[in-house]
Amino acid sequence: MTRALLPCLLAALPVLAQPAVPESEGSEPLGYTPPQATRSPFRISGYVDVGWANATGNGSSFVPGDTRVPADYYVDPFAPAVNSRGDVASIDSGGRFVNGFLPTTVGSGGNGTFLLNVASLDLQVSPSGLPVLVFVRAQALPRWNGNGSETRFVLQQAFGRVSPVSSQELSISAGRFDSVFGIEYLENESNLRLGITPSLIARYSTGHPLGIKVFYRFQLPSIQSAISINAAATNHGSQVESLQVETLSFTGVPVGSARLGYELSLLGTELKLGISGLYGPRNDQADPGVIQKQLGFDARVFVGPVSVWGEYVSLREDPASAPPKPTGTGIYTIASGFKVHGFYLQLAYALPVHDRVLSGASVYGRYDRRKGGFDGTPQLLTSRWTVGGRIELWSVLQLKAEVLFNRENAGAPTVDNDVFTTSAVFSF
Amino acid sequence: MGTVTWMLMLSLGAGPAKEWPGDDVPLPLAVRTPEDLAFKVVAERSYLEFNLMASGKLAYDRGDMATAADRFERLLSLKDLSPDVALVVRPLAEDARRRAGGSRVAAPEGSVPAQPQAPKPVLASVRGLIAGGGDLGPGGTVVWLTRTDAPSPRPRGVERTVFQRGKQFIPRILAVPVGSTVHFRNDDEVFHNVFSLTRPNDFDLGLYRSGESRDKTFRTPGPVNLLCNIHSSMVGYVYVVDTPYYAQADASGSWSVRNVPFGEYQLRAWHESSVEPVKRSISVKAETVNVPQLTVNSDRPPVTFVPDKAGKPRQTQLGY
Repeated sequence: MTRALLPCLLAALPVLAQPAVPESEGSEPLGYTPPQATRSPFRISGYVDVGWANATGNGSSFVPGDTRVPADYYVDPFAPAVNSRGDVASIDSGGRFVNGFLPTTVGSGGNGTFLLNVASLDLQVSPSGLPVLVFVRAQALPRWNGNGSETRFVLQQAFGRVSPVSSQELSISAGRFDSVFGIEYLENESNLRLGITPSLIARYSTGHPLGIKVFYRFQLPSIQSAISINAAATNHGSQVESLQVETLSFTGVPVGSARLGYELSLLGTELKLGISGLYGPRNDQADPGVIQKQLGFDARVFVGPVSVWGEYVSLREDPASAPPKPTGTGIYTIASGFKVHGFYLQLAYALPVHDRVLSGASVYGRYDRRKGGFDGTPQLLTSRWTVGGRIELWSVLQLKAEVLFNRENAGAPTVDNDVFTTSAVFSF
Repeated sequence: MGTVTWMLMLSLGAGPAKEWPGDDVPLPLAVRTPEDLAFKVVAERSYLEFNLMASGKLAYDRGDMATAADRFERLLSLKDLSPDVALVVRPLAEDARRRAGGSRVAAPEGSVPAQPQAPKPVLASVRGLIAGGGDLGPGGTVVWLTRTDAPSPRPRGVERTVFQRGKQFIPRILAVPVGSTVHFRNDDEVFHNVFSLTRPNDFDLGLYRSGESRDKTFRTPGPVNLLCNIHSSMVGYVYVVDTPYYAQADASGSWSVRNVPFGEYQLRAWHESSVEPVKRSISVKAETVNVPQLTVNSDRPPVTFVPDKAGKPRQTQLGY
């Protein structure tokens, strides 16, 4: 019987010689990691932000016929920002006295205009094998309209960072860097910001102070959580450049600021909470006894496509012992005490699009509210509703449009200062 | 007497078996699907090896050295024979051949010649070179073949390990077949996390400390972007293929896939800088197939910001 079957067996040999379900035996890849030498320590990226904006009224929020001084608050609290830098359409006070509490401006008045908001370039250097990072962000803000702020070239960030202990999430940075106060600085750039314009309280927390900062995070894996501390000692506080001169310390005493954060990170769901504080000499005074104090709370919740951001800030500046008051927009005569508090709440929904061309789309809304004023002047209560949408094309181009409904709730006459603004951000 | 009974008798040393009964080959196993065929191939291969071993040993034991030598030599001539089998059979084969007179025994009447012609090869080695990949170079490109003239066999899942070492995923790019399990092992002193937002292979393995490992089984083909929620600088990829015929290019771009059955195939090549794989139709009908150089696309926009678990962009220069 065996002999009779041998032909069958031998005939089957070629087929039987095949391995079972061949799966690249002996050549199965075990993965690929590029050699260290092929990784460049340099990384260059950036973005260009262009837009079109139109503010109603004359773009300034100054009310014709209102002769109260200083007139700053008819610009500042209403702040009809037209772009991601918080630039307003106009700060033309009609010749009335102002005291330096002014935002920067594109000078477009009540006319619709195209804007080249920002051209930003990042250089990041991280030598292989070293716990060191050097980061530089240079920006150009072309303002060719003679009615607005001057064209600026800004070294917005320039710092070195060291992570000295490999077993700990600890980093120390020195140079000019993002504020550690609150959370709005996290999306302060056009290519990061969900919408276009910053909140009404952004000008107190999104500056770029010069100094040293320490970040430490402690993981709590059993509850998928972490606690972090981000603390800085800097020449000045966290106000934006239009409100302070961010060069040398005026007093020799640094401003201390910190944020204590908690984060819960699950897939598709995140909760982040924080409390921030700032204390130190006032930015625009030479007397270290003239203090500024700032307190903030923040919360972020992300559940699937829905995200909610909220932040509260309270700032108190002591009256100055002596004028003048130098700021980023000039030198002014009165340095009175100042206090403000406000908050924003933002809700966004990411539409379920994941196409190669249309790589993302979101709609969002934000409510801002702020009350503030100089000592001795009325406290002005303002609010803003912002609604907008954005789409992302090929993951490199963001197109955004939003409408800002600015409201004067108390302490000032109503003024026509709503804004429609758009932005196209090309990232590279 | 059934084959199983014979196997038991052999293993227990029971009974002075005089002959090996043999059995019908090919086995009467129904083939309706590619999986059936794969099963049958394995079964018949195992069956053939066993028959040649057992019948050779029985012949040897009863002093029929010519038959024993013949069976053992046939067994040893099988391609890809297990070294363990060869180790135990070869001494008996050599002894049987020596005692049989030192010459091959004539094939039994009615059988095929003792030295059949070499079988026509049906498995090929497919190889080629990848170019492109931009600044990253072609290394790591995932190359895979799917049949176009027949259903591609379903691949077997494998187990692989991706290490988190020096705040990197090592390997950075790993190709695995569908159904594979990847172990993510934290070799750093700090905590790590692995997550992916790539649908439908999105997952999150949570936080885990040094020395610990978490597993993920990938069941859907396609690229899977690996990220760490703690360290925004960590980026890696698992590419899941729905075929057993796949490879990854080395740093020079060379790749090869072995044991590819003859047939018509669609070749695809994916690189981390590609939006879509490049494709090419190839015919596999020789033992070695050299595929002309392929250039992978570098059309994926550079990643400016790395998302966190919630999809929010992270700036790598911030914090840790």
